[in-house]
Amino acid sequence: MDHILSLIIFFPLIAGIFGFLVNKESIRAYGITVAFIEFTITIALWIAFDGNEAGFQFVEHATLISSFGVSYHVGVDGISLFLVILSTFMTMVALIGLNIEKDAKNLIISILYLEMTMVGVFLSLDVILFYLFWEFSLVPMLYIIGAWGSDRRIYAAIKFFLYTFAGSVLMLVGILYMGYIYHATTGVWSFSIPDWELLILPISTQFWLFGAFFLAFAIKVPMFPFHTWLPYAHGQAPTVGSVILAAVLLKMGTYGMVRFLLPLFPDATIYFLIPIAIVAIVMVIYTAMVAYAQKDMKQVIAYSSISHMGIIILGIFAINAEGITGSIFLMISHGIVSGGLFMLVGMIYDRRHTKLMSEFGGLAISMPTFATIYGIMLMASVGLPLTVGFVGEFLSLMGFYKVNWIMTLFAGTGIILGAVYMLTLYKRSFFGEITNDKNRGLKDINGRELAAMIPLVALVVILGIYPKPILDPIDTSVKKMIVLMQKKSVLPENKEFIIKVNSIRGGE
Amino acid sequence: METYLYIALFAPIVGSLITALFAQMPKKICVGIFTSTLIFISFISSMILLNYVDEDQIVHVKLMDWISAGNLSIPFGFVVDQVSVIMMVTVTLVSTVVHIYSIGYMDHDESFNRFFSWLSAFVFSMMILVMSDNFVGLFIGWEGVGLCSWGLIGFWYKKHSASWAANEAFIMNRIADLGMLMGLFLIYWNIGSLQYDIVFAQIVNLDINVVTWIGIFLFIGAMGKSAQFPLHTWLADAMEGPTPVSALIHAATMVTAGVYLIVRAGEIYTLIPDVGLFIASLGAFVAVFAASMALVNRDLKRIIAYSTLSQLGYMFVAAGLGAYWIALFHLMTHAFFKSLLFLGAGNVMHAMDDELDIKKMGGLYSAMKPTAILMSIASVALAGIYPLAGFFSKDKILEVAFNNGSYFLWFALFIGAGMTAFYSFRLVMLVFFGEKVHKKLGFNPHEAKPFVIYALTPLALLAIVAGFFEQSFHEFTTQLLVNYEFTLDHSIALILIFATSAVAISGIAFAVYKYKRGGFSEKIEEWGVYKLLINQYYIPKLYKDGIMKPFTSFSKFLWLNIDNMIVDKTVDMIAGAIYGTGEKARKMQSGNLSSMLRWMVAGIIILLALAIFYRPMV
Amino acid sequence: MIGLTHYLVLSAILFAIGLVGVMKRKNLLMLFFSTEILLNAVNIGFVAIGHYYGDLSGQMFAFFIIAVAASEIAVGLGLLVLWYKKTGSTDLDSLSMMKG
Repeated sequence: MDHILSLIIFFPLIAGIFGFLVNKESIRAYGITVAFIEFTITIALWIAFDGNEAGFQFVEHATLISSFGVSYHVGVDGISLFLVILSTFMTMVALIGLNIEKDAKNLIISILYLEMTMVGVFLSLDVILFYLFWEFSLVPMLYIIGAWGSDRRIYAAIKFFLYTFAGSVLMLVGILYMGYIYHATTGVWSFSIPDWELLILPISTQFWLFGAFFLAFAIKVPMFPFHTWLPYAHGQAPTVGSVILAAVLLKMGTYGMVRFLLPLFPDATIYFLIPIAIVAIVMVIYTAMVAYAQKDMKQVIAYSSISHMGIIILGIFAINAEGITGSIFLMISHGIVSGGLFMLVGMIYDRRHTKLMSEFGGLAISMPTFATIYGIMLMASVGLPLTVGFVGEFLSLMGFYKVNWIMTLFAGTGIILGAVYMLTLYKRSFFGEITNDKNRGLKDINGRELAAMIPLVALVVILGIYPKPILDPIDTSVKKMIVLMQKKSVLPENKEFIIKVNSIRGGE
Repeated sequence: METYLYIALFAPIVGSLITALFAQMPKKICVGIFTSTLIFISFISSMILLNYVDEDQIVHVKLMDWISAGNLSIPFGFVVDQVSVIMMVTVTLVSTVVHIYSIGYMDHDESFNRFFSWLSAFVFSMMILVMSDNFVGLFIGWEGVGLCSWGLIGFWYKKHSASWAANEAFIMNRIADLGMLMGLFLIYWNIGSLQYDIVFAQIVNLDINVVTWIGIFLFIGAMGKSAQFPLHTWLADAMEGPTPVSALIHAATMVTAGVYLIVRAGEIYTLIPDVGLFIASLGAFVAVFAASMALVNRDLKRIIAYSTLSQLGYMFVAAGLGAYWIALFHLMTHAFFKSLLFLGAGNVMHAMDDELDIKKMGGLYSAMKPTAILMSIASVALAGIYPLAGFFSKDKILEVAFNNGSYFLWFALFIGAGMTAFYSFRLVMLVFFGEKVHKKLGFNPHEAKPFVIYALTPLALLAIVAGFFEQSFHEFTTQLLVNYEFTLDHSIALILIFATSAVAISGIAFAVYKYKRGGFSEKIEEWGVYKLLINQYYIPKLYKDGIMKPFTSFSKFLWLNIDNMIVDKTVDMIAGAIYGTGEKARKMQSGNLSSMLRWMVAGIIILLALAIFYRPMV
Repeated sequence: MIGLTHYLVLSAILFAIGLVGVMKRKNLLMLFFSTEILLNAVNIGFVAIGHYYGDLSGQMFAFFIIAVAASEIAVGLGLLVLWYKKTGSTDLDSLSMMKG
């Protein structure tokens, strides 16, 4: 158990390298096995994890560059634990659902490599290490989109890469500056997050650093108006790429917000809270409307992802335990649901080689089981109670209500608009008579696809009914973080603000 | 007793889930029998609980924790008290009848099994809605019934109009649900809990403004589910669903959930009589508004749907004015006779090969006597004629309005009562009596199967006698609910009763008289009023042209012009600018040493200048 | 009395002459001359300042520069001769193989 985190990070990498030796026919089985073992290890991590302990657990530390305080420093707490599990789980599911034959070996190795970087991002406690994994994650995704995508894959891949890269370069500047400040204040070099969290920064410095970090995360999330790379990436990426992109990669941005912005720069967070919330609300409503206008099924889901990410951001910037816990839960539930929806779109694309809704209609007649599973995922996406989508959305909005109720009302229209575009999509594609002869006699969902979807559907329902095992550890860590924020904030009114938004009836 | 609670709650979902496994298989009659049995078991358990619950005996269980984060803690908790047990009995009773009825009604449908799965799932959601001991649990059921209603309205999903109506219903409800959610948030942040008992105990300590807002938000939620103006259009369109669905969901149970919410949250609404008055006014308005649309409509099911809408208005008047037990009483009696009316209409529809235009029927009495009798009973009850159920409950509501001094409301309801009587008997006359138009059109009506008719008899019985339980109902429910004090003189009350009965009877008499002689002439169809009413005050058209179309085109505009042109082009422009700069700067690399040296010198000069003039660190 | 300033002024003038030569001249040979002038301008500066502070490192640097300049000229002239043999010209404008 001592080195379980290193094992989780490097197992996919090593297995990926060995993957070159595996012959073509068995590479899929190999990939699934590796992903399954990796998933099992993360489950073991969850079992061993102490839910009552708020701080980092299973910490490993090894100095890399001692003169600059850069080290290999990993650890897990309630906030990151489930994102790690989500990453390994979704990788496994995506691999089960994978059916690309062309260069399958390279693809699977890319995915395993991607898995390492995702897990690494969530587990790193050293900022330089975090940055390394953050940037590394771009490379396999670039390959996946660029090599296995559709027609305009090169454009989409490059756009994805450059856009997110441009943002993270700014973050690098921020990281270096923060390291410099840490050295200037304490006299020692350190890039460790727990160390940084203890540093109280003057307000003006907080503003600059907040800006640098926020921009990188905002592009990754992606926040309006930096979101346009996402529809392209989704539009061109193969199913497996979309699944991982939507389910995990986007969450890296929101995870970064929780991990860096809130505890490191509490005053700047509160200062920028309202503008960011306004952008988030615009993003919720605007992308929901754009989603409604789409003709391509996959684009609807791509834009709906953006819309949901807006709610996650609102929850984070509620600065109370309800909101932040809710938004982290929403990250996980959105990962499951959007990943599932992208897989379903991929299945229909495999059969019909089109994603245009006008080409479909009456699919419920030819593919009833598929339609049922799609319906369940859709309802989870809409946020129906007792599905996984509700818990996070409810808590996030509830949290933000304390900050500002009118803005919550506007954000809540996202719930309505979500129902509008999702149900319209469902009606156009699944209901009605079969008008296009190509849709007649389509094969219903097959065994491989069912094997990929059943775990997702099961999780959607189980976590919707009993989210407690996930909510509790998150809540413990979040509460600790809020106490830290409250202690650290420089301005007394910000201290009061944090207490106010965390208490019942603290002034209306 | 807890066991009975769990049986009552979970029997329907067990049926639904097991049936769901057979959803894609061809029709199996045992599926219908199985689910009906389970619902019946649920009904029996509810009856046992009804017997058990009294003044100081209520069943309250906590199944497990659901959501907990921060200070929030929401369990799956269920309570069986005087209010919820009434609802449970009503819901399970009507559901049982509807289930049995559906075995006959859905006989020829290829998705027989799927239908029962959805229907039982609906009953489960409704049970959660009424039995939950906290607001979020209620919200689960609230959304759950919305989902099942979506699935059942759009049950014949091949029909474009059906799936459209399903989506409309779901989205309209969602709009209202947002209001409800806001109400829940407000309650939570002021009280710190969403359990009914804690909320109602502490609500008095809150600032009256906050309570007002809570009341408004919760009522917005109720407006959606109970299809109050302006969110009413979905209910009429929901008639696209199979008729048993209309009977169960869109008459007896789901649409009354809004009333249930107001009754349940009575302790909040007693603190804010102004909001209550608004609710009552809106209710009275809807009562007349919906009844007026029912006057002219020719669609069998839509008439009954408008009538439901109108009756919901009555319930809201009672609830808004603080007479919670009366609202609940009318809810119950209405569930009996309205579902009976709908199920009867289902028989008629089957007999007429799904023809809905009542002008094409006529004289069906000879072909389907039992149905005609049942529907007449229901119509009499609906019209509020002594001694049927509707008389007791509806009259009480008018009395409340008068007692409250809201004479205007009373007058509206009074007019509404007359209209109700008229359109009910317009329907009965056009369908069952008069000229046999259907013969000309080549229909060959036949009566439904006997077991279907037998299944309806309990409802008919209750529609007749339920009114006599008024006294015991009053005593039972006011153990929990705030009592309503009548200050009215006995003699005035008596006059009111006579007046209302008189208007109802004259409404019936007028309908019978008029339609015996072939009804109104075609000329009235030219009248402006008629056009207004038949087009439902042009509200659906307004929604379509005023909301849906602009929304669609605005969405398109956002996508094509803003997202693709402005936002994305800006990004591409930045990338293009960088690329273009590189392209231009390439010319510097002419390969000519001399010009390169010049560039070098220029660079050195700039750097020197920087080094001399710009010193941030000093 | 000739002081540091005079040396530095001389150095600056030489540097300017060299710089103008570098920019204006088209003949490769002239370019080499100009480079030499630039280097020697710097040398004068080094030596003068080194003398002024009584620090020998200035003069040491000058020696380094002389050595480097000599080797640079040797290599450069060798290339120049080759280039002249190949093209028959020492005009700068004829050299554009590095065009980007």
